[in-house]
Amino acid sequence: MKNLKIYALLVCASLSILSCSDDDMPVANEVTLEFTNTFSGTTIVLGDDTSTEATVNTSDQGQVHHFAELKYVISNIRLIKTDGTEIPYNINNLDTGATVVDQSKKETLQYVLSDIPTDEYSQIKFGLGVRSDLNTLDEVSFPEFYATAGANDTEMHWEWGTGYRFTKIEGFYDTDNKELSFHSGSTLEGEEGSYTQGVDAYRDITLDLPTTAVVGSNGPTIKIEADFDYLLSGNSYSITLVTTSDITNNATPSAHTATEMEKFVDNIGGNETTDITGMFSIIEVEN
Amino acid sequence: MKNILRHIALLLIVFGCSDDSSEIVSYVNSEVTIDIPFGFPEFNSTVYTNVPTVYGVELGEKLFNETLLSADNTISCASCHMQENAFADHNAKGIGIEGRIGLRNAPSIQNMAFMNFYNWDGSKLQLEDQPLVPIITYEEMDSSILEVIAKLEAEGSYEELFNKAFNGEGITADGIYNSIAQYEYTLISANSKYDKVKREEGETFTEQEAAGYTVFQDKCISCHSTELFTDQSFRNIGFPLNPDTEEGGRARVSLELDDYMSFRVPSLRNIEYTAPYGSFGQFQSLTDLLDYLDAGVLDADNLDPILKENENRIPLTDTEKENLIAFLKTLSDEEFIEL
Repeated sequence: MKNLKIYALLVCASLSILSCSDDDMPVANEVTLEFTNTFSGTTIVLGDDTSTEATVNTSDQGQVHHFAELKYVISNIRLIKTDGTEIPYNINNLDTGATVVDQSKKETLQYVLSDIPTDEYSQIKFGLGVRSDLNTLDEVSFPEFYATAGANDTEMHWEWGTGYRFTKIEGFYDTDNKELSFHSGSTLEGEEGSYTQGVDAYRDITLDLPTTAVVGSNGPTIKIEADFDYLLSGNSYSITLVTTSDITNNATPSAHTATEMEKFVDNIGGNETTDITGMFSIIEVEN
Repeated sequence: MKNILRHIALLLIVFGCSDDSSEIVSYVNSEVTIDIPFGFPEFNSTVYTNVPTVYGVELGEKLFNETLLSADNTISCASCHMQENAFADHNAKGIGIEGRIGLRNAPSIQNMAFMNFYNWDGSKLQLEDQPLVPIITYEEMDSSILEVIAKLEAEGSYEELFNKAFNGEGITADGIYNSIAQYEYTLISANSKYDKVKREEGETFTEQEAAGYTVFQDKCISCHSTELFTDQSFRNIGFPLNPDTEEGGRARVSLELDDYMSFRVPSLRNIEYTAPYGSFGQFQSLTDLLDYLDAGVLDADNLDPILKENENRIPLTDTEKENLIAFLKTLSDEEFIEL
């Protein structure tokens, strides 16, 4: 019995030694991206036209609006080490490197990146939408993402353009709750570098981390805010929503006649030159 | 995947048994010669990268008529693109599975090899990119390419047809897209009375047709130009607007306000067989359509300049309309319809 106690003590001692040693540091760990969708910091509650629960926002132009549906695609994720090295995360594989954030599905608000090399990271880059070279609704290559995006309650396929919807927002605006419907997606045709027609709605986002994300024995969580106040009141445009019959006004909130889709896209995804954050910011990094 | 494994296994067997002079099963497949008809423009350059072959075209035609492409096995390409209607149909808007109604009028499929833009809004520039659209669209076939491939594999007879058409590659998504495009490249209509008159093959216009041709050259040819009878431009000509909020015309692709409710100028070939007319079948007959153009069209900021300069109308007397319709019927290619 005494022997056993000593033995147990030895085991405990050796365990504590092991856990103290540098050899125990994993070569990689997870990084969790946590998305919080807000109107100027207030987490969005979705609701239909009669909802009293829904978070109501007011645009710079004085239009009240709220959302019933809110989805967007995040892909092309890259973490940047403090030394500047970029660690791409399955950027050419939509099945393992892209996700649909859906405000109505809590589980989609967190996206776990696995096997991120142990190191310190000071910046994150990702795409809002799908890079044009992958944006072909290629079910053969990426059956999982195709299925997730195309599910009946998700509807992120843009069939006629054989691409993905990048953002899908349904909601209501003005006090009489007129329908608001914003879908973004690319209509590019041709090869990269020599596009022959269409518009690219993909936006590359770059965010500096306020504190370094330390990947190692812990897997940090990077908390990202997407502030949808930017949709109408962004860095690029202050948009007034108008009805579909008036397409010459600032913006048309209908699904596919949104001739001014790019204004909304620039607001939430940045203009790729002076604004590379769009509606996104880092709330905090939890190490 | 299963097929790939099977092929690998097959290759291994072949290699294993053979001497040095090992021969992989090769499929003999010859190219189909498509002549450019008299006066027609050059091919779309993609024709040269997806050259129609005997087996490719054969497979494409079979797939074009294959209802397994739709979720409930009821709709094929040919359901809306019927040969007797110059590969268009008689519905105002396309009708898919379970009677679901689409956004637009099914366009005819003819002389595709010479076109540079496909669909009413020119959303596709290569024919090979098009077949997936109806396959996955809710209002059309509402299926998916993997679902289609699985059904074709289960059907049994397709494996060999794909192998013959695409050098033993088995049933693939690209094989589906490419073979259907190859078949469509062969659908060329250039044997109407008009063509025979132009080629001086012994036919002559009647007096009325000749008078109609004069009207055509005076009032239609600036848009319906070339031997394709379209200049392939996008124009808003003030036709009644599709009330569907999905519709934006060419602007849906370009996102240019100037393209709002602009549509690709359709070919006039075989127009006798393709009623109703307009992007969502606004007009039941050619007479209705010409009456509308004569009476005056809807105004718009981006209304075509030709109409703007003419008080938003194309004035036509009743006789001119009758003559014009007589001429348009000379564009009917019975050989193409019956083939």
